[in-house]
Amino acid sequence: MNKALPYQDIQTVCFAIAAVVLPFAAFVINFLFLGKSKLSGWVSTVAILVSSILSVIVFTRVWNVQQIHVKHLWFIIGDNTLYTGILLNNLSVLMLGLVSVIALPVHIYSTAYMKDDAGYSRYFQYLSFFCFSMLALVVMDNLILLYAFWELVGFSSYLLIGFWFDRATAVQANKKAFIINRIGDIGLLTAIIILFNQYHTFDIAQLFKDGGLIASSTINNGLWISGTTLTPVVWQYIACIGIFLGVAAKSAQFPLHTWLPDAMEGPTSVSALIHAATMVAAGVFLLGRVYPLFNEAELTTLAVIGCFTAFMAATIALTQNDLKRILAYSTISQLGYMVMAMGIGAYATSLFHLVTHAFFKCLLFLSAGIVIHQIKHIKEDNHLNIDPQDIANMGGLRKKLPLTFIATLIGGLALIGLPLTSGYLSKEGILVQAFEWAEHKGSAYMLLPVLASITSWLTAFYVARLILKVFYGDMHLLTLHPGIKIHIGDGGWRYKLPLVLLSLCCLFPLFSLNPLSHTQSWLLYGLSSYKGYTESIFEIIVPVVVNVLSLVVMYYAYIIYIKQSIWVSSQTGLLYRISFNEWYIDRFYNCVVVKFVLALSDMTFWFDRKVIDGFVNLLEKIGVFIAGIASWCDRYIVDGILHLSAAIVQAIGGFARRFQNGKVQYYLFSMLLAVIVVFILKILIWN
Amino acid sequence: MITLTDFMIVSAVLFCTGMFVIISKKNSIQILIGIELMLNAAILNLVAFGKYDRINNSGQMFALFAIVLAAATTAVALAIILNVYKQYKTIDPDKIKQLKD
Repeated sequence: MNKALPYQDIQTVCFAIAAVVLPFAAFVINFLFLGKSKLSGWVSTVAILVSSILSVIVFTRVWNVQQIHVKHLWFIIGDNTLYTGILLNNLSVLMLGLVSVIALPVHIYSTAYMKDDAGYSRYFQYLSFFCFSMLALVVMDNLILLYAFWELVGFSSYLLIGFWFDRATAVQANKKAFIINRIGDIGLLTAIIILFNQYHTFDIAQLFKDGGLIASSTINNGLWISGTTLTPVVWQYIACIGIFLGVAAKSAQFPLHTWLPDAMEGPTSVSALIHAATMVAAGVFLLGRVYPLFNEAELTTLAVIGCFTAFMAATIALTQNDLKRILAYSTISQLGYMVMAMGIGAYATSLFHLVTHAFFKCLLFLSAGIVIHQIKHIKEDNHLNIDPQDIANMGGLRKKLPLTFIATLIGGLALIGLPLTSGYLSKEGILVQAFEWAEHKGSAYMLLPVLASITSWLTAFYVARLILKVFYGDMHLLTLHPGIKIHIGDGGWRYKLPLVLLSLCCLFPLFSLNPLSHTQSWLLYGLSSYKGYTESIFEIIVPVVVNVLSLVVMYYAYIIYIKQSIWVSSQTGLLYRISFNEWYIDRFYNCVVVKFVLALSDMTFWFDRKVIDGFVNLLEKIGVFIAGIASWCDRYIVDGILHLSAAIVQAIGGFARRFQNGKVQYYLFSMLLAVIVVFILKILIWN
Repeated sequence: MITLTDFMIVSAVLFCTGMFVIISKKNSIQILIGIELMLNAAILNLVAFGKYDRINNSGQMFALFAIVLAAATTAVALAIILNVYKQYKTIDPDKIKQLKD
């Protein structure tokens, strides 16, 4: 600690650190001591309970009161001194409180939801580890550690998506999530390196505060000027693109969004916490952290991409049949709203929407979890072969699961953004500001708010479709399989309590005392970049038009799905197919990117196999050939000489041996022969 | 007139016959007979050359001694062959190789 802080502040910092470290402690205890014990769930839950209480205390002390930034010397390398520390300002304490408060009901819910799973303890290890990484991510004060926890968050998400690693689809999904997040991480890392090169510091507070390093740097004549450092302006663009890639991968924005629907392979409680409420919001949080870096043109690009993502995801959600997939696409759509809000300068409203979205989307996922759980029970009790997540099988669950129905209804209405819910406050804020922004920028930009409004009506339609298909009408399973028995209910208090808590958080009083005016939320005033609204005509028109049309759309959905008096979309139309196949983006990636990468790998494999291996094999063959020659020389020349001399000796010996064969007559004969030879020779010589 | 040459020829034929018998036969008794033939060829020569000695009939005398000695050696040889037969159950000299190698 580099300067003396008042006692109160030191205590606050300690509370914040404890709030971050407690889930990690739970992870360590679970990992080292508890093994497969059922106690691990409660250890994690208690840790997150204490953590959330501490976070709320920290939140009340810091929010709108002061900014606390403590740092400690980490290491010195060359001329660069690196500090590590925590930065508690409005943004980080908001996220700190949000993450821990959302995580608490999810933990309680999980103790019941996962109780029959073989990986119960492993689940809570991962969950605690995720909470630690996420909480640390939001309070870190330098980009290096931010990046480290950014990676850890992605890693724990990877672990939890592939939690049921014996399912091939889950393994595919977590691989996909991991690879796509890698693309974003590379972007973020590049951006961090460029920023360090430009400003020689990783300190977030120094870089991004009002009047900080980034605010005081300028772009002039194609040069990016900050202090004494001059670099070509293209680096600034690359840094922004890098950060955008990081945001797009984590928050599932358009080119990199395809991992999120597949990530629904994880347990539903995980989808609620990580892939709806907290981790995917990390991208938007990062945008909030580095907001001053973006200039006007880059922000407009962000807005366009966000808006397009919101629209595209909403159209896809219209036709999906998988309960969780619908919710996943609605998450992508809402994240698109947040990014768009960042782009149009509605910084505070974007984060406001992040908070409200976290509550209602978590609620929706937990309700969906109960529904899926119950359908699974029916499936197992009656030995049916059905997909428990398919909404075509459901229907009429309103009476069987009354609390779940009410919770889903509240969450759904908040998602549509109808008055009296928290979603209304944030979403109308975004829409109103989008219209104001477009009016300010020019008529061509009007497309954006209009598209956002259309998205809002599409949202109304698919939420209505979801609720009507799941909770109204008759149970389709009963008509398909008349004989089955159904014993289902909302479940115990560990299911009910989180739903009630989150439902309360989805209503307006938590955020604003005036249920109809989005400008009066306390949350908006706490975020620094908040600009007051100009009292324009849009303030009144937009909410009214959007909501009335939303209601009309919902009634339309009611007519289609319940009364079935009109049958509009033939299920073979072009638009239906585009929507149902998710705009063919996955297929496009498979056809182009994956095939390209596979072809490239095949090529390198071929190169490896044929050229490198061929070269090695050639060397081997040459070696074998030389060794063959040596062996031939050894065998036939060296050994040959030896064998030849041995053979000569043997031949001589064999020849000499014949005279000693023990046959008396032979001796006599040879003696006679010798005598005759001597005589013949004598005669020959004589003559 | 029977000349010395005729005796020598008869003697040489006898000697060669004996030699052939010794080399070719596979029976020790026959080999012994071959030896006797050769010995007789030598005795025949002794008698034939004895005609030219200054002392009369000395050749015949020595021939008689030689015949007696030959009978004695034959007896000894037969005794040996008997013993060999006892030992090896054969009198084929090719098969008696216990001393060999």
